[in-house]
Amino acid sequence: MAKKKKALSLGVVLRRVILWGFAAWCLFPIYWLVNMSLKQPVDAVARPPTFIFMPTLQNYIEVLQDPRVIGYMMNSLIIALSATFFGLLIGAPAAYVLARHRFRGDSKIAFWILATRFTPPIAMLIPFFVIFYNLGLLGTHAGLIVAHIGINLAMIVWILRGFFQDLPRDLEEAAFIDGAGRFTSFRKVILPLALPGIAAVGILTFLSSWNEFLFSMVLGGNDVMTVPVGIYAYIGFEQIEWGKLSAAATLMLAPVLIFILLFQRQLVRGLTLGAVK
Amino acid sequence: MNKVPAGGLGKAASWRRERSHFILLMLIPAIVLLTGLILVPFLVGFGLSFTDYILSLPPARFAGFDNYLTLLSTPEFWDSLRVTLIFTVSSVALQTAIGLGLAILLHEETKAVPALRAIYLLPMAVTPIAAVFTFRMMFNPGLGVFNHILVSLGLPPQDWLGAGNMALFSLVLVDTWQHTPFILLIIAGGLASLPADPFEAAKIDGATPWQTFRLVTMPLLKPFLAIALLFRSIDAFKTFDIIYVLTSGGPGTSTTTLNMYAYKQAIEFVSLGYGSSIAIVMLIIITIVTQLFLRRSRLLTVAES
Repeated sequence: MAKKKKALSLGVVLRRVILWGFAAWCLFPIYWLVNMSLKQPVDAVARPPTFIFMPTLQNYIEVLQDPRVIGYMMNSLIIALSATFFGLLIGAPAAYVLARHRFRGDSKIAFWILATRFTPPIAMLIPFFVIFYNLGLLGTHAGLIVAHIGINLAMIVWILRGFFQDLPRDLEEAAFIDGAGRFTSFRKVILPLALPGIAAVGILTFLSSWNEFLFSMVLGGNDVMTVPVGIYAYIGFEQIEWGKLSAAATLMLAPVLIFILLFQRQLVRGLTLGAVK
Repeated sequence: MNKVPAGGLGKAASWRRERSHFILLMLIPAIVLLTGLILVPFLVGFGLSFTDYILSLPPARFAGFDNYLTLLSTPEFWDSLRVTLIFTVSSVALQTAIGLGLAILLHEETKAVPALRAIYLLPMAVTPIAAVFTFRMMFNPGLGVFNHILVSLGLPPQDWLGAGNMALFSLVLVDTWQHTPFILLIIAGGLASLPADPFEAAKIDGATPWQTFRLVTMPLLKPFLAIALLFRSIDAFKTFDIIYVLTSGGPGTSTTTLNMYAYKQAIEFVSLGYGSSIAIVMLIIITIVTQLFLRRSRLLTVAES
């Protein structure tokens, strides 16, 4: 729908104002969070709120010296990394088979995988709570890792399947003709080729687990608190803690921001569930 | 890959056997896990919904359809259903309107598109609790930046989370901040993948931009719009983090959605049987909506391509 050069200028300006205006709206809360995290307690509760002030790293220093915060970070890391590792280990082979082979019931499997994405979390949380309560898994790392695999496995298989489908078949067939078995060609030919896709899904899984709140709060309880749960626990003390809480929340965003900068394209595809390639 | 190697029926049979072994071995871990972590919990939840199970008050007894009958006759249920519908419909409508408009603008943009996309990605990728916590600070009536901005523009300050209708509006606002990019990016991706021919034909026929948009772009975009709408509606229907951290369903029950109601019953009051019946009703609603959608839009065929 390109118009002529002369008519463009006003339209282009207006378009850019709108697009960057929306970008500003997307960025504002993140800016404000970082802004709050750099404020001294006096500035954090100033009326009216200040945009310009003497920044301080005091909040970060305090947060990073707080053994509780370090504990939350460690819990989040252990759980997110384990859930990602096991999720990929189990999800990738299934995704490959679903991408390459037609067999009885394959469309049903794909449908059920999608269906788990639609299930309300509370419908899974209640039985998890009851089962974990009876197995003594409440408030354990293992319990949360298992739950996070359950939450993410369907997404892992679904998106990886899309990545595998995009790979050309020639290479496997060549390996096949050369006498490599199916497992060998999967391991030696397909996996290396699919590595960017697998990395992208790994990052998505990590972020999903890192950001997850409801299951972590209910199943982890007070024993295994992840960062979101830890932050939530201190929101009650709001105003006094705003600076410190903002610093903790900003630290939480760090891996997210790094991943977005490095893997923007793959994340767009993953976050839109493969609808955008 | 249905080529049968030369060498007769015996080899073909063993080739087939080898193939099914491969499929089975690759799938089994995932199937076992999906069964253990999704099917079994689902069945347990379904079973629980027919009991009067309350944690630490043993033993649970079979209660037939009691939970469901109680649920359907409780005003709280209908009230939370109403709140859920208002929240879901207004969020999704607002996000679709903004997302569609911006996607079309972004599609025509030539400068700094990757930077814009990276920024648009932020709200849906950042830790929801961190973002929602920030909104809570910004909504604060006395110290928050939103009221400060309103007052400096000469507008009256708002009690963002304190008054019923306003609180629901504020939740829609935060949900819109977080999820408009989802719709925007799906539609932008859709626009990028549309074939060029129909647009050239429209140009040759002398169609105005508006005609082109209405008669060519929109019909071609429909499958993408359908995916975006379906996923977004279902996710809005299940929203938890935003509501829990900003209002916990209050003031009163003015922002108690079905999901919050289920959470309060099941987790806060540990009425696990009754809570399960609410969750099952939510699942039924989602299933019906999804089926209607799938039938109308052939969504799965698009999702698979």
